[in-house]
Amino acid sequence: MKLAGNDILIQSLINEEVEYIFGYPGGAALHIYDSIFKQKEMQHILVRHEQGATHAADGYARATGKPGVVMVTSGPGATNAITGIATAFMDSIPMVVISGQVQSHLIGTDAFQETDMIGISRPIVKHSFTVDHQTNIAQIVKEAFHIATSGRQGPVVIDIPKDITNPDDLFDFQYPSKANIRSYNPPIDPDKSQIGRVVDAILNSKQPVIYAGGGTISSNASEELRELNSYINVPVTNTLMGLGVYPATDEKFLGMLGMHGTYQANMAMHNADLILAIGARFDDRITNTPEKFSPKAQIVHFDVDHSSVSKIIEADIAVFGQVKNSLQAINSLIKDRLDEINNFEIDKWHAQIAEWKKIHGLNHNLYKEESDNNPILPQAVVQHVYHASHGKAFVTSDVGQHQMFTAQYYHFDEPRKWINSGGLGTMGFGLPSAMGVKLAYPDEEVICITGEGSIQMCIQELSTCSQYKLPIKIFNINNLALGMVKQWQDMNYDGRYSSISYEDSLPDFKSLVESYGHIGIKITKNSELKQGIQKAFSIKDKLVFVDIYVDPNEHVYPMLVAPNGSLKDMWLSKGNKT
Amino acid sequence: MIERQLTLIMENKPGALARVVGLFHQRGYNIDSLHVDPIDDFTPYKFIEDELNIKFAKGEVSRLVIKTTVGDKLMRQILRQINKLIEVIAISDDESTYLKGILRDENLL
Repeated sequence: MKLAGNDILIQSLINEEVEYIFGYPGGAALHIYDSIFKQKEMQHILVRHEQGATHAADGYARATGKPGVVMVTSGPGATNAITGIATAFMDSIPMVVISGQVQSHLIGTDAFQETDMIGISRPIVKHSFTVDHQTNIAQIVKEAFHIATSGRQGPVVIDIPKDITNPDDLFDFQYPSKANIRSYNPPIDPDKSQIGRVVDAILNSKQPVIYAGGGTISSNASEELRELNSYINVPVTNTLMGLGVYPATDEKFLGMLGMHGTYQANMAMHNADLILAIGARFDDRITNTPEKFSPKAQIVHFDVDHSSVSKIIEADIAVFGQVKNSLQAINSLIKDRLDEINNFEIDKWHAQIAEWKKIHGLNHNLYKEESDNNPILPQAVVQHVYHASHGKAFVTSDVGQHQMFTAQYYHFDEPRKWINSGGLGTMGFGLPSAMGVKLAYPDEEVICITGEGSIQMCIQELSTCSQYKLPIKIFNINNLALGMVKQWQDMNYDGRYSSISYEDSLPDFKSLVESYGHIGIKITKNSELKQGIQKAFSIKDKLVFVDIYVDPNEHVYPMLVAPNGSLKDMWLSKGNKT
Repeated sequence: MIERQLTLIMENKPGALARVVGLFHQRGYNIDSLHVDPIDDFTPYKFIEDELNIKFAKGEVSRLVIKTTVGDKLMRQILRQINKLIEVIAISDDESTYLKGILRDENLL
C-alpha cells in the first residue's frame, strides 16, 4: 500500500488502536489534520488550549492504563503542551505527543512558529523522535508507543516537519509488528534469589509495613498486592499516587503517608522494622529529612527503574522488574510458608497501630457542628461528595488544600479512580483530566474536586465539555484565596499574606458556567450543603459546577514538621505538635 | 569527591549526545571533560554484541568518555540515570558496567 506521510502517521495511530486524539490544529499540522478528517476510526477532541489536551490525554491514560495521544502544531502549540508533558513525566504516565514542525529546509532559520520542541522537551520526556523521512514514520510510531507503555512509563514526543506529511509524496506503508530497540530492555522478571531474601525478611519481621505507590498501579499489580496481604496481614500505607491500589476501607489500611499523611501511617513507617516499598520512590514529601527516615527499618524496594532504587533511601534488598511479576513471585513462594509468620509480634504491632489511630484519626473531633453559625468545612464537602457518590466515582483534583483533603477524605477502594498531579503538582490539571476520564468511561461518575485558584488555570475547557457533552461534576472548594500558600504563610511567615488573594475579582462561577450551557449551583451555608451536593448528583446529562464557599482559615493536618523533622514530627492541628 | 571516568557506548544518532550532556546539567552534575568518537573497530566490544544479542555496523555507534568529580553515591546515580537513556547501550565507571538491564561489577569498557 502506498500512502503519503500524513496518512502513514494516522494509519499508524489506528494500528495502535488509538481511540481519541486530544489536540489543536495549526499551520505545521494541517496535512495531518486533513488525514484525521478523512478517517472514522479515531475521534479528535478539540480542546481550547494545548495544556488541556495533554492533561485530558493524561487523565485518559491514568484511568484506562492505555497511552494518551496528543496532537499539536509547532511553536506555541508545542510550548503550550510542555506543562502537561512534564506532569505526565513526573508521574510516569504513558503518553505520545505528536508535534508539527516547520518544513525541514526552514529548521534553524527562526521560521514562523518554529521552536526546538525536541530541545525544549528533552528533560521532561522518556524519549523523543524527530522524523527525518516518510519511510521512518511507522517504525517511529511503533517505537514511541512501545517506549511510552513499557518499563517505567512516560511521555514520548514525535516531532514531525510539515514536508514529511506532504500529501503529494507517496511511500510504501506497512505497519511493523514489533518495535526492536536494541538499546532498550527494561527489567520484567525479578531475580529469584532476591525474591527468596524478601520472603525471609517478611517472615522474620515484627513490625512490617507495606508502602505502595503509583508504580503498583501502573504495573496493574493491585490484585497481587491484595493477595500478598491476604497472606501476611500487615499494615498498608499508600502514597498520594498510590491511593486505591489497596482498599482504603480495609481495616489494615493506614491512610496516606507523608507531608499530609495520617498520624498512624507516619508513625508506623517511622517505627517499622521492615518497609516493603512497592512502586514508590521515597519522594521528599514522603521521607521528610532522609537521614532521620525510619531509623530501624530494613528497606525492601521493588521497582522497574534502576535509578529509583537507593536514590534517596538506601535499599537493603532491591527487586528490579515489573512490580506485578515480582509480587506474583513473592506470593507463590510465601503462601507455603505462612506457618513461619510471627503472629504474636504482628498482633502486638497491630495493637500499637490501633492505639495510634485513636490519637489522631482524621474523623475524630475535626468537625464543627454543621450549622449556619459555622462556616462550611472543606473536609466536610469531600465527605459529602464521598457519600453521595458511594465512594465509587473517578475523582480528579487540582493542586493545593482541596487535593489533600480529597486524598484524606475520599476513601478509594480501587486503583485508577484517583487522578491527580502528584509529582509536578500542576494546578489546572483537574478539569481537562476529568474530560479524558469521562470520554474513556462515559457511563461512570466522573468528579473533579478543585479550588477557585486551580480551576481558573484551565477554565477554558468548560467550552470543550460543552462541545462534546461531557457531564462531569465539578466541586469548587472556594476559600477565596490560594489556600495552601496561605497555610504556609500562616505557619512560616507570621500570616503575611503575600499575593494569595483575589477576593474582589473572582467571577460569579454560577453565571460563568451557565454562559457555557452548564448548570451552576452556589452553596454558601452548611444548611444548603448536603442538599446541594445531592442535587448535583441527581443531574445526569449535564455538566454541573458546584461553587462551595468554605472556611477561608482552615488548614490541612496532619502536616510534617520541616525542615529537619522526621516522620514522627507532625503538626496535628493549629499550634499543636507531636 | 574524586575525579572519575565514565565510558559510554551509544547509538550514533542526532540528539543522543545532547541527552547525555543535558542529563548532567538537569541532575546537577558537572562535566570536567568530554570526548566522543565513532567506533570503527568493534573487537573490544564483541561481548556487548554477544550479551545483548545485537550486531554493530560501522558508523552506528560512538564511544563517549566523560570525566566528572563526584562522590560514590552520586556516581551510582549518574550511572543508572545515563543507563536509562534509550540510546545508551552500555556504560561503565571504574568498578561497574551496565549493559542496559544487566549490571556487572567490573569495568568492561
